[in-house]
Amino acid sequence: MTTLDVPLLRLQDICVSYKGNRVVHDVSLDVAGGEVVALIGPSGAGKSSLLRSINFLETPESGTVLLSGNEVGAGQRRGRTQVSKTALAAHRRDVGMVFQSFNLFPHLSAVENVALAQVHSLGRSREEAKKRAYQELEHVGLRDHAEVSPAKCSGGQQQRIAIARALAMDPKLMLFDEPTSALDPELGLEVLGTMRRLAHEGMTMIVVTHEMHFAQDVADRIVFMADGRIVEQGPAKELMRNPQHERTIRFLKAVRDR
Amino acid sequence: MSLLQEWQNFLPDFLPGLWVTVKLTVSSLCVGLPLGVLLATGTTARGRAVRWVALTLVELGRGAPGLIVLYLVYYGLPQVGLTLENFLAATVALGISTGAYTSEIIRAGLNAVPRGQREAARALGLSPFKELRLVVLPQALRIVIPPLVGFAIVLYQGTSLAFAISTPELLSRAYNAASISFQYTAALTLAGVMYAVLSLTAVALLGIRNPLKRGSP
Repeated sequence: MTTLDVPLLRLQDICVSYKGNRVVHDVSLDVAGGEVVALIGPSGAGKSSLLRSINFLETPESGTVLLSGNEVGAGQRRGRTQVSKTALAAHRRDVGMVFQSFNLFPHLSAVENVALAQVHSLGRSREEAKKRAYQELEHVGLRDHAEVSPAKCSGGQQQRIAIARALAMDPKLMLFDEPTSALDPELGLEVLGTMRRLAHEGMTMIVVTHEMHFAQDVADRIVFMADGRIVEQGPAKELMRNPQHERTIRFLKAVRDR
Repeated sequence: MSLLQEWQNFLPDFLPGLWVTVKLTVSSLCVGLPLGVLLATGTTARGRAVRWVALTLVELGRGAPGLIVLYLVYYGLPQVGLTLENFLAATVALGISTGAYTSEIIRAGLNAVPRGQREAARALGLSPFKELRLVVLPQALRIVIPPLVGFAIVLYQGTSLAFAISTPELLSRAYNAASISFQYTAALTLAGVMYAVLSLTAVALLGIRNPLKRGSP
């Protein structure tokens, strides 16, 4: 296998449990560099848990995560996958994450939010980090909000600052956990616009979303999950037009009938 | 002699006492607050052993009456070869109590920081220590400032315990003056008024609570 054949991200037999209750069952998924994958499905399907297991915000009960062919952590102890702190921090630097509730740091200005981890996680100098932070804020169209506290920004602006914060780390992969679910349709649209541009620029993205138009238009592939398993996946337009599995048909019909 | 005249006689002796009281409050906070942060992070730590040790210390510190801690430090420590003069002993003892009590306040502050904040810090590859120092603590400390000021006022009143090991603070001067002149009422009310004036002034300056304004924190 040449390096070209190695997927950027490979999930192998990932299982995630909460207090003995398994919410993700043996899920395997490959994501190629530059690919945009939309994870859709009903609530409780395990989409977010799967996404969060990629950067170990949820430690998988079993299974392996490979980034560029390298396994993140190895072996298991006490029934859980164990990863050394340094390996974990390095992995998380490579994987950007955007949350449903933005999770910006409220005690810092926008530019400080974007610069913080560059300094304290990547080890960039303060000047370098700040310069890069301004660039990324420019990138998401918020250069003029750099000195503003997040609390003074709209939800859509906050989410774009959060995207800038993740991008400033030069991630190989971006995870989006329902990035527009906390926003009204209009503000959601500005965030989706930013994500769309990111996709066109070639960023590898995995997006948990209920925005079916976005999934169909922007994603290369749609993965449909239900009950902790991948039920069906395929090229975005094809899956939306012609779902095969009965569960997928039912879900998409419910979405369209709304 | 009128009350005011008596107060006038007492005042030159009481004012240095008030100064000792203030110094004792500040020095106890300087010992107690870092201890409180340490204990609070201990009781919220992931390691079970650390959590239990911290929790035991907190419960011991809160469970023991301040006077007992004071006596233990002042009279107990010399038995193991550590003699502290009275101001220092009072600082250590009140600092321990302060640490135990404020740790619970600070812990509430730490828990009040939304979980998503820690997750965002982690997702950016920040180490657990930096997550705490750069993201969680700055937010938690903001939340706990009003209750900490409240505690500082309680501590300020509580420094009168140091009277028991003859630290020359406000209450011991008042008591001495009273036992010499037999003017107990005059001496003790003056001390009380002096305690009150200073703490009310501090509260007003810090703008913690204005009873005339509804809905202020």
